[in-house]
Amino acid sequence: MTGQTETGLKVVGVNHRTAPLDVRERFAHGAHEVPRALARVMAAGASGGVLLSTCNRTEFYLVADDEPALEAVWSLLGERLPVAPAGGAREYGYIARDRDAVRHLYRVSAGLDSMILGESQIQGQVREAWEASRAQAGPVLHRLFQTALHVGSRVRTETGLGMGTASAASAGVAVAGKIFGDLAGRSALILGAGDMAELAATCLSDQGVQITLVANRTQERARAIAERLGARAVSLDEAWPHFATTDIALCSTAAPHAVVTWERVGAVIGGGARRGRPLCILDLAVPRDVDPALAQLENVFLYDVDDLQTVAAQATARRRDEIPAAERIVEEETDLFWAWYGGLGVVPAIKELRQRMDDLRATELERALRQLGHLSPEDRARVEQFSQILLNKFLHQPTIALKTAAEAGRGYGLLEALRRLFGMEPPE
Amino acid sequence: MIVTLHLIVLALYGLATALVLAPFTGLRASPSASPPSRSRRALVIAFPCAGAAVHVVAISQLTLVGLGPALSMLALCLVLLQLASERLLRGSAVSFFAAPSATGLVGLALLSGLTPSAEAIAARNIWFVLHVALSVLGLALLALAFIAAALYLLQFRELKARRFGQVFQLFPPLERLDQLNRFALVAGFPALTLGVLLALGYGAQFSGGLHVAKAQVVWGLFTWVVLGWAVWVRVVRHWAGRRAALASIAGFGAVLLVYVALKLTQPGAERFL
Repeated sequence: MTGQTETGLKVVGVNHRTAPLDVRERFAHGAHEVPRALARVMAAGASGGVLLSTCNRTEFYLVADDEPALEAVWSLLGERLPVAPAGGAREYGYIARDRDAVRHLYRVSAGLDSMILGESQIQGQVREAWEASRAQAGPVLHRLFQTALHVGSRVRTETGLGMGTASAASAGVAVAGKIFGDLAGRSALILGAGDMAELAATCLSDQGVQITLVANRTQERARAIAERLGARAVSLDEAWPHFATTDIALCSTAAPHAVVTWERVGAVIGGGARRGRPLCILDLAVPRDVDPALAQLENVFLYDVDDLQTVAAQATARRRDEIPAAERIVEEETDLFWAWYGGLGVVPAIKELRQRMDDLRATELERALRQLGHLSPEDRARVEQFSQILLNKFLHQPTIALKTAAEAGRGYGLLEALRRLFGMEPPE
Repeated sequence: MIVTLHLIVLALYGLATALVLAPFTGLRASPSASPPSRSRRALVIAFPCAGAAVHVVAISQLTLVGLGPALSMLALCLVLLQLASERLLRGSAVSFFAAPSATGLVGLALLSGLTPSAEAIAARNIWFVLHVALSVLGLALLALAFIAAALYLLQFRELKARRFGQVFQLFPPLERLDQLNRFALVAGFPALTLGVLLALGYGAQFSGGLHVAKAQVVWGLFTWVVLGWAVWVRVVRHWAGRRAALASIAGFGAVLLVYVALKLTQPGAERFL
């Protein structure tokens, strides 16, 4: 990560590698908080911003000068900590600039920077972040996020980075799929109302599984999840009879011992009501929620966290083999963006600047020559030539600086400055 | 020409067999959705498709009388059903059994001889053709039911034992295999029954009575009863899953066992049975 301080692309934030979960939770921004947070950073001098906030990362993508905007981000995040460390929020974070920032977003979108390698959810989150920040993104970040989504799609289509199922929750979906085939229209009940239960239930719901019940010891949390999933919240004791009809039971309570026991559900599952229909039980709890003896029932397919992690690990191993191919795509697309960004409007801007200056010169020259009516034609020509040379001398250094910056991929910052200084309209 | 075409068919089915069995023989370490695997899958479909196309040409030149042509027709039906179920199950594993079976059947057809006697050809009419077509289709469907049942039991065993290897990865979901088994069994049984009834009608009408040994009648009836029981428990008793798969295997197993036993006691390539 480079150390330049000019106006340019920056990404500043924290992720699952740099900050623990409790810190990431505090830094996470809901969609409704995004505009205000971005407005604050933009008030500190950023000319464009997008905030990407997921459970694994909170990142501000900015077109900004280094110091004021970055300080604004750290201060904004630091305020969310109950006890800030000595170095503030920046102790948990990182900054990437320019080309590194582009590469970073592309890797994020491709799933290369995810906790679960190659997971596809991040692409939707990148899209949502872009859409939530649309008003404040500005042309460069629009283009950056648009291309990031393209990179994500390319990586998933052209490599096997997204193949298989790489999390315990998605492995549960895959295993259930091997029993039932198409999961759409199947029913599931959820025991427990923690994050893992919710995540796994969401994975099932995404596949068209109808979540019928959310059972938990405390009703409040169960109700919240049930509401989100269109299910009914019940107590654990009310859930046992439903084992007679459900296709999938997802268990993830915080109980210190098995709650789904032979005594509670053995007769229900083995009884005539099921008519031998298979029941897939996904036990994501540690310690386990389900009595292993239930697997002896012929129609019960019981999987615990170890089983699901085995499935996930197989997929992850296959995905790792695809990293070099995915990185090649990221690098290729970074080059393309950087070429675009570097030369962004430099040539037309130089033309426009010269034209403006020349118009100004011609106007002022005409006015001056009207007042100097006694000059001979030769002298008038000499004055005009002088004005031309003076203009060329004035414009020489800015032109060289712009071209050099463009060649180094840093043209955008200078262009912004130029437009502001000379009141030039930004391109459409 | 017929023999040459069958040799080409044998080669193409043989290549398809080698490809589908490669993941289980260590020739290819792990199946994946990566590009090389996609091309492998394309070849797994392309070889039997090409084989079936050549096979159709070969069958069109064949007189469907006798053991060899019947085995060849059975192989073609099996491959066509395999291709249809591949489409139905989106990447089915029916080819794990169907491809080697079809290869073996074509090999046996070549060994048995593909040209029937002039006498046998002369006895052919529309009843006979319908009898052969329905019987072979029925047998192929029952073979498909057997394959689906075998795949079901293998996948069931792996899922119950929490093993997530090649079978878990490559075989279709239990529910789809169960559906395929049900369809093939329920369609195969009446087709075979009708085929046999047509044979009886043909015999009575054109051959001056039935020319079958008592053993054939007794054991034929036995297999029909076993198959009928497998269909009955599926349709009437609503058996599904493992029990239904076992019943289906018992039904086709009975057909196979009785056929081989009768062929051993009454050898000859003039007739399929």
